[in-house]
Amino acid sequence: MAEKLLSVPLKEEEIRDLRVGDVVYLKGPVYTSRDMGHFTIKNFLEEKKELPVDFDGSAIFHAGPVVSKRDDGKYDLVVIGPTTSIRMEPYYKMMADLGVRAIIGKGGLAEDSLKQFEETGQVYLQAAPGCAVVLADGISHIEDVYWLELGVPEAMWILQATKFGPLVVGMDSHGRSVYKELAEKANNRNKELYG
Amino acid sequence: MAMYQDLYKHVYDMIYHSTTTISPDVTDIMQKALKRETNQTAKSIMQAMLDDAKMAGEKVKPVCQSPGFPTVYVSFGDKSVPGEDLKKIWAEALIEGTKNHLLRPSMVHPLTRKNPGDNSGIGVPNFEFDYVPEQEYMEMFLSFKGCGAELANAMKIFTVAQLEKGNDFAGLKRWVLDTVIKGGGKPCPPGAIGIGLGGQMDVACKLARKAVSTRRWDDVNPDPMYAELEQELLENINSLGLGAAGTGGDTTMLAVKIGATSTHTAIAPAAISFHCWTARRTGIRLYPDGRKETTL
Repeated sequence: MAEKLLSVPLKEEEIRDLRVGDVVYLKGPVYTSRDMGHFTIKNFLEEKKELPVDFDGSAIFHAGPVVSKRDDGKYDLVVIGPTTSIRMEPYYKMMADLGVRAIIGKGGLAEDSLKQFEETGQVYLQAAPGCAVVLADGISHIEDVYWLELGVPEAMWILQATKFGPLVVGMDSHGRSVYKELAEKANNRNKELYG
Repeated sequence: MAMYQDLYKHVYDMIYHSTTTISPDVTDIMQKALKRETNQTAKSIMQAMLDDAKMAGEKVKPVCQSPGFPTVYVSFGDKSVPGEDLKKIWAEALIEGTKNHLLRPSMVHPLTRKNPGDNSGIGVPNFEFDYVPEQEYMEMFLSFKGCGAELANAMKIFTVAQLEKGNDFAGLKRWVLDTVIKGGGKPCPPGAIGIGLGGQMDVACKLARKAVSTRRWDDVNPDPMYAELEQELLENINSLGLGAAGTGGDTTMLAVKIGATSTHTAIAPAAISFHCWTARRTGIRLYPDGRKETTL
């Protein structure tokens, strides 16, 4: 089990180096996005509008923070932790096409993402669920925010990470998903117990 | 009963306490589970969870970024009728808690998804009222129930044949484990599940949510048959190996809680309500003479 500190933007070869179970910390910009954020990106692409940030090599965090607004109009981060990722599964291709390298969240993504990861060289990183105070500790500040009209949780927050983690590789670019493997074992156990 | 201002203060204190701490019974079970854990990743995740809860209390920050869905369980008797507009008090206190960054503004329109930005809205918080004629005190129990966990919930109207009564209810038990497996890491394990049995669709769902939200996770069901079923399901769920965060380990659930009522002879309703590890909840009893007791 390796432990690594990776800098964003992430390169394909360093993502391909990661294996299920490795522990990763991230440094650099991390973008939050969830249901409405992904939906907005999709609309931008369909309407051929320019996106506000470059997603090439990016790390996307399925999360919505608690923030406090300062007198100068900027925002301080109070806490932040992962939301359930499976809701964003329908956007696996769009995110790959944008050049997203790491997707951070909880509970994992599904089969389409896993195949896509193998093809594109992407990875899914599991953050400690509910550990919003611990995770916020690895982020120095909020750099910017887009689409705040979607509400605080759904807006795209640009976070600057110093040592964001620990994040565990839950799905790698070699066709392995810890969620899928554990579910298969668990299903066998259920059959053993209750037929 | 208490006057508006006094009630408001009690209510706000409950919000403050619930958002910045987790239930002490849950911390205790988690600590025991951490000691037993053999999976290294699960160990570090559970340690992070305990650290997080501790740091939240010390720094006066929310334990989790998502406040979940607030429900207030209120019960009162003939001598303890609230007498003030509880719905108004709670709605105002939630807005104040949001302004003070205890709660992320998370409540939205069900279709347009418009977010008013202050956790106001129709049906916020959710209330469950109960009238117990002889009860001396008014009880208020606040539960912030995480909604990633809600994504794993399930409800089924079983037939008697599907329960597999002759086979020690294997049909029901298989379905419970199958639902936990499908939930995987989504409901922020290690948490708990509530199982509602009986009634009709809505009744079973409410029983499941109430059992997991309001019961201490270390209590024992007063009905020996349900107590045994809770224990069997808990042990077998933890033998599945899904673990903390769903990335493998010995503890997937800290508790299984069953709530039950009678049902109609034609049906066997069952519902499962998942709860994340961040059991953010507070209960108080208010007596007509002004005394206050904290129950959780």
